[in-house]
Amino acid sequence: MILDLLKYSISNLWNRKLRTSLTVLSILIGITAVFALVSFGEGINKYVADLSQEMGSDKVMMMPGGGLTNAPGTSNLLFTEEDLEFVRKTNGVSEATGMMITSGKIKFKDFKEKYPYVAGLSTENNEKKLIEEMFAGIKIIDGRSLKKGDALKADLGYAYTIPNKMFKKAISVGDKIEINDVNVEVVGIYEEVGNPGDDSNIYLSKEGYETIFNTNELEYIYIRVAPDKDPSEVAERVKEKFRKRRGQKEGEEDFTVQTFEDTIKSFTSIINILNGVLVLIALISLVVAAVNIMNTMYTSVLERTREIGVMKAIGSRNKQILYVFVIESGILGLVGGALGILLGYGIAKGGQAIARSAGLSFLKPYFPLWLIIGCLLFALLVGAGSGLLPSIQASKQKPVDALRYE
Amino acid sequence: MNKDIVIKLENVWKIYKMGEVEVPALRGLNLEVKRGEFLALMGSSGSGKSTAMNMIGCLDIPTKGRVFLEEHDISKLPESDLAQIRGQKIGFIFQQFNLIATLSALENVALPMIFQNIAKEERVKRAKELLDMVDLGERLDHKPNELSGGQQQRVAIARSLVNNPEVILADEPTGNLDSTSGHKVIDFLKSLHKDEKKTIVMVTHDSDVAKCAQRIEHLYDGQIVKGKKHF
Repeated sequence: MILDLLKYSISNLWNRKLRTSLTVLSILIGITAVFALVSFGEGINKYVADLSQEMGSDKVMMMPGGGLTNAPGTSNLLFTEEDLEFVRKTNGVSEATGMMITSGKIKFKDFKEKYPYVAGLSTENNEKKLIEEMFAGIKIIDGRSLKKGDALKADLGYAYTIPNKMFKKAISVGDKIEINDVNVEVVGIYEEVGNPGDDSNIYLSKEGYETIFNTNELEYIYIRVAPDKDPSEVAERVKEKFRKRRGQKEGEEDFTVQTFEDTIKSFTSIINILNGVLVLIALISLVVAAVNIMNTMYTSVLERTREIGVMKAIGSRNKQILYVFVIESGILGLVGGALGILLGYGIAKGGQAIARSAGLSFLKPYFPLWLIIGCLLFALLVGAGSGLLPSIQASKQKPVDALRYE
Repeated sequence: MNKDIVIKLENVWKIYKMGEVEVPALRGLNLEVKRGEFLALMGSSGSGKSTAMNMIGCLDIPTKGRVFLEEHDISKLPESDLAQIRGQKIGFIFQQFNLIATLSALENVALPMIFQNIAKEERVKRAKELLDMVDLGERLDHKPNELSGGQQQRVAIARSLVNNPEVILADEPTGNLDSTSGHKVIDFLKSLHKDEKKTIVMVTHDSDVAKCAQRIEHLYDGQIVKGKKHF
């Protein structure tokens, strides 16, 4: 029975192709927007989740000031080697390393100079590894990483290997660049991180950094927590001890200690709020679509009043008339949803390509099954739901009146 | 109630409210239709014959009085029960044909069987038989707008028979047809009565058409009048 009514509903929609497609279009737009936006939101969440997988949750970060709000190289409350040594000795800290970072003037051949960040790192293997883990576990893909005694050698971020990105020509291992007018040889290239900031970093050994920038103060201290210790507890302890070392009161520290999880949380909550607002706007377009479906169905009910009368005369019950119309509006929703998902997929993929060419390869949509099924169900619900009132009106018509309708 | 009586209207009143004014369409109508009878109900417009037709067809319930279909009093039944009764016991033929425009001839004839939960093979078989019977076996897949008026009305006749109803109700069945097509429709009704022993109630204002019936009743001001013509 339901199958027969379904077939009947489909033939009705098929016979009003123009109106059907216009109504489908209205819901398609909303679902497209919701699907594309949510897939990006999910993609970012997934990226962050993968990132924390790669970085591990055993990391704690120390930085000057109130957290990641400061741009590197803008604070004058940096850490010293002694500070780092102090942190290393704190209970629960398995190892720690520091990173110096500031922006430097980079010249390559005769091309226009650039001012990316230049970082100085320890060449000790375990400390280098800790920093690489902090950068999503990036690896050298060409050449070698820095080792002891590499005073005027540098490893470069991935962006330098792309022509016209940093410089007109790609830089490769063996090339010479100038950092603050000092000649430096490129010995290695790191793989892509996926964001333009980190991909344009230049890495020097601690010695090299000290030679060129004439300072050994640290911008960041990265801590690996001992395996059996809770990172937040260790972060608290480091904070407390360090506060006492600097003679500061609680709440008035000029530095921040953050577990990696805290960092991720603050990042994802901002992303989620942003995405939520966009999805909300897309949902408004679905409300408009619902009104449109309702309008289409009311028109359809009015047009087919006589048909409803005939169906009732030949034995159709109110319930069956109701089904016919609810199924019709449900199909409008479902088809709009399915097409919306396809279009949304295309748009999300297009967006990914654009983001990628802008160096933002971490902006990558993700399409979990629940999103596809959820969008379909939601579209079906919007369709059937907004068709409900017109359908009830259709089903309640008196057969005599309906038959008389001209 | 006498088993031979299929339909009985007992002092039936139907009063329509037009704003403040009450307009009685039927004023204590009494009517009996015997099983296997071919009755023509005549009357001018405003005589109440359409309203009487609605009562007989279980399309509407009376304001006062009782309507029996076989032994059952249907005058107080809810719409869903009436729908069920209409589907099983009554076949409608309308002046406007009233086929569903989006469905083919075959689908139109099979439609009442969907509401009776009859399996698809059975539906198609029965609908084909009936369309053969009304000489439209070659037009199964035609949509109503691809058929002439007479052909559409014959599809409607096939549709009215599909659930093997007790009563065929024909409301001005020739009203929208030329005389040749009209005669053919009337011939089908006559053979339904004669060969299939169907009870037929036909509403018409055309006395030539009415003559085909066994019995003619005249309606005037919502009542049956005996013996003389009032129009």
